[in-house]
Amino acid sequence: MAQARPATLARDLATRAPPPPVPREATAAALLAALAASLPFLLGWLSIAANRLVSPRPVSLPLHGGTGLGAACFVLGCLGVALLARRRSLLPWAEVTAGLALLALLATLGLGAGAALDGGARLARAAPGAGFWLAALSLLLSAGCCAAGRDAAREGEAAGATPTRFLAVAVPGIVLLVASGVLDPLSLMREAASRGPELQAALWRHALLAAGALALAGLVAVPLSLLALRRPRLEAALMALANGLQVVPSIALFGLLMAPLAGLAAVWPALRGWGIGGIGAAPAVIGISAYLLLPLAAGLLSGLRQAPADILDAARGQGMGEGAILRHIRLPLGAGAMLGGLRTAAVQAVGLATLAALVGAGGLGAIVFQGIGQLAADLILLGVLPVVGLSLCIDAALAAAQAALAPAGRRG
Amino acid sequence: MRLPRRAVPLLAQAAAFLLALWAAPHLGALWGAPFPDVQRPVWDQRGWFALLGAHLMLSVGAVVIAAALGLGGGILATRGQGRLRPLLDALFALAQSVPPIAAIALALPLLGFGAAPTMLALVLYACLPVLRGTVAGLDGVAPAVLDAARGTGMGAARVLWQVELPLAAPVILSGLRVAVVLSIATAAVGAMAGAECLGTPIVVGLANNNGAYVLQGGLFTAWLALLADRALALLAR
Amino acid sequence: MIRFDRVTKRYGHRAVVDSVSLEVRKGGLCVLLGESGSGKSTLMRMVNRMVEPDAGRVMLDGTDIANVPPESLRHGIGYVIQSVGLFPHWRVADNIATVPRLLGWDAARVASRVDALLQLVGLPPEDFRARYPHELSGGQAQRIGLARALAADPPVLLMDEPFSALDPGIRRGLQVALRRIHAETAKTILFVTHDVEEALLLADELAVMQDGRLLAHGRPAEVLRRDADPVVKRLFGEATLAFHRLGTLRAANAARPASATQPAEAQLPILPPDSNLKQALMLMLESGTDQVALPGGATLHLSDILAAA
Repeated sequence: MAQARPATLARDLATRAPPPPVPREATAAALLAALAASLPFLLGWLSIAANRLVSPRPVSLPLHGGTGLGAACFVLGCLGVALLARRRSLLPWAEVTAGLALLALLATLGLGAGAALDGGARLARAAPGAGFWLAALSLLLSAGCCAAGRDAAREGEAAGATPTRFLAVAVPGIVLLVASGVLDPLSLMREAASRGPELQAALWRHALLAAGALALAGLVAVPLSLLALRRPRLEAALMALANGLQVVPSIALFGLLMAPLAGLAAVWPALRGWGIGGIGAAPAVIGISAYLLLPLAAGLLSGLRQAPADILDAARGQGMGEGAILRHIRLPLGAGAMLGGLRTAAVQAVGLATLAALVGAGGLGAIVFQGIGQLAADLILLGVLPVVGLSLCIDAALAAAQAALAPAGRRG
Repeated sequence: MRLPRRAVPLLAQAAAFLLALWAAPHLGALWGAPFPDVQRPVWDQRGWFALLGAHLMLSVGAVVIAAALGLGGGILATRGQGRLRPLLDALFALAQSVPPIAAIALALPLLGFGAAPTMLALVLYACLPVLRGTVAGLDGVAPAVLDAARGTGMGAARVLWQVELPLAAPVILSGLRVAVVLSIATAAVGAMAGAECLGTPIVVGLANNNGAYVLQGGLFTAWLALLADRALALLAR
Repeated sequence: MIRFDRVTKRYGHRAVVDSVSLEVRKGGLCVLLGESGSGKSTLMRMVNRMVEPDAGRVMLDGTDIANVPPESLRHGIGYVIQSVGLFPHWRVADNIATVPRLLGWDAARVASRVDALLQLVGLPPEDFRARYPHELSGGQAQRIGLARALAADPPVLLMDEPFSALDPGIRRGLQVALRRIHAETAKTILFVTHDVEEALLLADELAVMQDGRLLAHGRPAEVLRRDADPVVKRLFGEATLAFHRLGTLRAANAARPASATQPAEAQLPILPPDSNLKQALMLMLESGTDQVALPGGATLHLSDILAAA
């Protein structure tokens, strides 16, 4: 009677349909690519103003050999995105093609601006038209769609829909285009050229502010998170503080920090020598780091908790100490989640550093707010575009690192 | 919903906030204390209640529109075979990697300056947390519950209205909460773009090197944001 | 009552259900048995149009269900699934009342129906009416799931592995309760399972599926006969097929009638009424005899069991 108990058949899992031949992402990617291809023609590539004071009006793209070739490349690129996205294995190439299409769009714009201004008044200014901006956004989103599909197939959830390949093509390409001088006729580039050193200094200052705030927040968050791992009340207090700070508007927090710091500097004038005062880098760095506490601490704690209880139990059973467990088990298994927290924090730091200009800390925000004050679109763009570029690049780089780490973390 | 006991401290805080707004012009000594060099520490260019009203019009108005758009978009995106989902994923990833300040600053040259464009930028940005909350909430409804609901013969609209939305409500509300806080905070930045609100004293104070104005504006903006957050947390329970 | 007429369902190029024809008679309890991915759930879900067949048709009480709107069709078919799917934001009473309310019953009628159903599934109404689903154990939740499916008194019940996620003892209790409810209400039940013992315990009729095809269909004793299809033998376990077959045969049919010449021996162990041959054999092994007595005075010998098997 040893076999009297009948074999219970395996649980019937819901029958899953095999993956459809055309990936789900194809529709959205193709739609966006089509939108990108048509928008510059519908809404205008360029707008021209006779001088700085009059408002710009859209003009049609002056067609000649260069612009014709560029526009043709751009439209072909968009078509390529739509076609390549129809095969799952080709999605990465669709993403790369979207990057190439963006470069063609930019080159066409630069050539078109040069032709439109040719022989015109020296004061005339050429700016990208609404069609250009929306087409660039559509291409970015289309690349994101391709990235979402590619990730689901191979690299797991970590990188999400971050278009790393798109940026890997577009960013060096844009640097090359700028260096080659194709874009020089654009008023934005003229503005950049006339403010060259100022822009460069602001960029460094911006990066320094963000990095300083990230370091300060790390100095607070890392020891507190390690302590909070075993003390639920400390954890509750830490997370309540970090969450509460998140709600305070950044502009208000910077303002509120000015008063006590000004007071400190008044009591101990020596502090001014270290740059601590009501105005300047100190309130900005402290204020920014306050907002980074939440992503950093949440990422760290969730990373430290990635190791399942039975693995920790087994490790303790083999005689590992808490230090060894941290080094050999918690850190390797949680690296992905911790990197995720760092990623969120780094992107927020770059964004918040823009507001630091309000309390006199400088950075790219100074250019943005100067532009807002003067209602000068070019100046705003000159400040904002590097912020956006920096955020996108940091996010994509850390997303790629996270994706590379994730499988190692899952093997445990 | 009857007024629960938990709402009492919130109402007390709101009353304290309004009282402080009323008392602010009479507290010159308090505002001036940390800034001895400032000649006129009391903000008197515009009434506090007018600023509060404008701030609420701007941020709450933006959130109401954003909530309608986000909820509708989220429901649409989760119907059918989810062909719009990759677009949403790409949008969320982009929104996560582009800071709100940058997005609003980018929108200004395209949309123009003043209260109306600030509002439009706020709507566009506040949409995203609501949209994300709606999609996450609807995704979180257990497939078995949906299967059972369809199996009992509920129509698609009834399943959405009686099963999916009630179950997704906590997640949608937390998205709404993020949108409200984001909107109140970012409306203050709108003062830079010419929208009058509680951020105006901050901007004016920074421009004229008047720390006392900044202190008052910062205090009331932060207080308002905390109050709104508490109120929505209460609603979400 | 339910008739599948050469129905086929394809996902991509693979046929999950491949030209299956099957008829379930009114008031019968038909068990669809098969391994995971055999298509049994897909076949069942065609009855309430949760799945639409690519070819063939499904008839319900003589009507082609393709002509009935899905919603009104489902109001008349009870549906119970493995993960229960109670609505977590509604109380037990509201969950049970789902379909009656969709049909527009008045409140008093709904309330009395809810109480009657709670009693039918063996849960005290006053204790369970106001609970939320998260306050129920797995077995209680599935009893509520069964009550919800029976709420509007539908003539047909579809059950998709309803007891598979439960502990063995609780599963046994629910199986017994289902048999009792089936006897009391005379519903037509289509029951999907991968559990061989459960299938044999419940089935009036057994339909065995493999790779989307119907391998065998009939009364359990017919399906398990000696010359059964090799795949069916493998499914039931070749070593234990004969043992399962004993479980499908009534002891009374194989017994020798009481005769005056050979009086029943008083010390023989007595088999309970309505027992099958498997139980008779177990009783012999248990008491160490080669014959047992039946309640009517008949006796059953070991050789009778061998002959019947």
